[in-house]
Amino acid sequence: MRCHADTDTVDFVIVGTGAGGGTLAARLAEQGFSVVALDAGPFFRPLLDFASDETAQNQLFWTDKRVSSGTNPIKMGGNNSGKAVGGSTVHFAMVSLRFRPEWFKSRSILGYGADWPLDWAEMWHYYSMAEQALAIAGPIHYPWGPKRPRYPYRAHELNAAAKLLARGCEALGYRWSETPLATVSAPRGKSPPCVYRGFCRFGCSTNAKQSALTVWIPRALKAGAEIRDLAMAGRIDVDHQGCATGVHYVREGQWRFQNARNVIVCGYAIETPRLLLNSETACFPDGLANSSGLVGRYLMTQANQAAWGRMEDEVRWYKGPPSLALTEHWNYEDRGKDFFGGYCWMGQGPLPIEWVSVQTSARGLWGPALRTEMMDYNHQIGVKMVGEMLPNEDNRVTLDDDTDQYGLPIPRITYEWSENDKRLINHALNQMTMSLAAIGATRIFPQDDDTNHLAGTARMGFNRETSVVNSDCRSWDIPNLWICDGSVFPTTGGVNPALTIQALALRTADRIKHLAARREL
Amino acid sequence: MTKDADNRSAAPPISGGAIPEASNIARAPSRPATDRVYERSAHDLHAAAGLIALSVLLDSAVEHYRGSYHNKAMFTPLVTATITLTATAHGLRAPAGLGHAGRRGIFVLAVATGAVGTGFHVYDILAKPGGISWQNLFYAAPLGAPSALIVSGLAGFLAEHIRATPPDESARVFGHSVSRSAALGSALALVGTSAEAALLHFRGAFQNPAMFFPVTLPPVAAGLLGFAGLRPAVGAYPVTQACLTATAAIGLAGTGFHAYGVARAMGGWRNWHQNLLDGPPIPTPPSFAALALAGRAALRLLAHDASRAGHTPARAVPP
Repeated sequence: MRCHADTDTVDFVIVGTGAGGGTLAARLAEQGFSVVALDAGPFFRPLLDFASDETAQNQLFWTDKRVSSGTNPIKMGGNNSGKAVGGSTVHFAMVSLRFRPEWFKSRSILGYGADWPLDWAEMWHYYSMAEQALAIAGPIHYPWGPKRPRYPYRAHELNAAAKLLARGCEALGYRWSETPLATVSAPRGKSPPCVYRGFCRFGCSTNAKQSALTVWIPRALKAGAEIRDLAMAGRIDVDHQGCATGVHYVREGQWRFQNARNVIVCGYAIETPRLLLNSETACFPDGLANSSGLVGRYLMTQANQAAWGRMEDEVRWYKGPPSLALTEHWNYEDRGKDFFGGYCWMGQGPLPIEWVSVQTSARGLWGPALRTEMMDYNHQIGVKMVGEMLPNEDNRVTLDDDTDQYGLPIPRITYEWSENDKRLINHALNQMTMSLAAIGATRIFPQDDDTNHLAGTARMGFNRETSVVNSDCRSWDIPNLWICDGSVFPTTGGVNPALTIQALALRTADRIKHLAARREL
Repeated sequence: MTKDADNRSAAPPISGGAIPEASNIARAPSRPATDRVYERSAHDLHAAAGLIALSVLLDSAVEHYRGSYHNKAMFTPLVTATITLTATAHGLRAPAGLGHAGRRGIFVLAVATGAVGTGFHVYDILAKPGGISWQNLFYAAPLGAPSALIVSGLAGFLAEHIRATPPDESARVFGHSVSRSAALGSALALVGTSAEAALLHFRGAFQNPAMFFPVTLPPVAAGLLGFAGLRPAVGAYPVTQACLTATAAIGLAGTGFHAYGVARAMGGWRNWHQNLLDGPPIPTPPSFAALALAGRAALRLLAHDASRAGHTPARAVPP
């Protein structure tokens, strides 16, 4: 690995190496820029470091001190954060879906949320690039949305849970599909094909998963980028002309400063606004890039409710990736809804400890009742939604008075579901329950409290008054400060965000190349 | 029959293969030459039938083990393939006539088992959600696999027919010439095998460029072979024969490639007990070699037809 001294002024210092930062590190280094990418987490070697143990693999999640408040506080952890080189893609469920094209203009076309300053057709191009880079294993024909090129790898074999989802959809008259997944179904380079171990959300120990850690980071290293792990960024410095000069970070107990011509923040929806707010100066008393006052605002999560039941036959839902099949019916169907937004649902395969926590939290089971219920593990079936929650200014990230192990003020996360969110969740719970009943599942119960992916808090937009960054992910206030991760999403859609973040990062890298050529960096 | 066998053993050995010497041009081939062509062709067809049966035996043993033999009928191809394999081995070595009827019955049984197996596999596909869909064509019971038993049975059946034909008669099966039947049958089987390789290599996203070999060259060889079977016979088929030889080479090399595929799975050959099940099937590529062998037998019969008709002497055809 090529290494830089802190005193070197590199072209780009990138904070975070997940879906946004990892992609950018690779693409910018490949374009010839000097790049140092910082990550607060360790640089794991999956073959050596990953155990087949749910508890041990909590090492992948960002579990630092945070305050979560509001009417519906968000549970932080495995569903929405990662602390590792590769970010949360190291333990993401590999679901790689495109936005519905109309969502890029959901305010103008669908009447809710906000428009993106991007054209869906251009994003379609970058989605294709991302899918090729990640060797997505997907169906030959995807049933929803405009035509897309063939996925580079074929879809995986469906497990019993996915087949039951398909039967449920067929009973309701909805289309279903194999889920496009970022895990290979045939060998690719150093990746062997998926062995259907089922630990995808706790770290893939075979490297079949095509995460930032296995795809973008090796490309970045090959192209000369430096990946500095266990380096927690605490503050971005800005000079008198209002330009960023580098990043203060703590590594091995020492505060250091990396000089850079450009800073890109890719810390996701909590850590990105936290870093910007923690970097306030006399010139920027409300934090960097915050003249609009919108840094930290419009935080969104996605509804992740589920319906669970029991089948007479064994299902063994833990085999293979958890979300092998899905239906996007209610993402593309607008009739018959009493809410804005959309949702999809996918097959599920929670591992035993996760399943215990569902039983204890959603049903309040304990003692002998819990034990009896767990004996049915191999017969359980379930579907889980990924639902769009609407952006709301008051759902936000601010700084708390308390500090963390680095001495940095911790984030306070405030969240409340809107009436629209609740209507969407009720609709989905109803539909998912019907789909389970239709295939003869018994003892069906809803899990109505879960959420997952995050978005918002540094939204992109058309002008500096109503947004933090422009369509190039460049901050309106500080020309050499960029933000590229899920926090720039103006709306979050009803699909997992990882592929959209990577497509956005690919576009941003191309825009940076273009701007550099015109000497507009 | 016994008389034929006696003739065979009494016939003087002919050097330079079954094709008449240059001095014999314009003269109809002698009885021993016919005898020899029939014997070699029957031998090769038996060998082809045996190789395919062996492939079916090993492949269905592995694949049905993978399916936990959850239906008792899944043992059937193992039993039938073993019997067929034994019959071909016997046919290769036994004097003509001995056990002919029994072997013929076994080959008919192989064809029937293949047909019933195809029915089972179609049912398996249709019973799954999505019915006839890429997902089920890729991962449900493979549509083309049981027909390998049909091909094995037919090749064995033809071999028996040829061996039972007196040298002074044209070998015919169900009223059609054996040479044409063998050529067209082998061509069709090659196309089918290639189609199955295409489906499964498409499932593997043609991730290794070598995966294109079995879906490109064998169809060309099959086309030439089918063409030869439909046209009036000529004395030699050098291009077709070369393509069939290359097809056989691909089949044998395929085993090596599939072994490499097993090595590329998680744990490689150290983890053979899982990767043999989930990796590319090692016993299947030699089917191409078997069909190429059958195809070459068909060419030999066609060339013999031409020389016996006396129109086109074997050695007179330019390469």
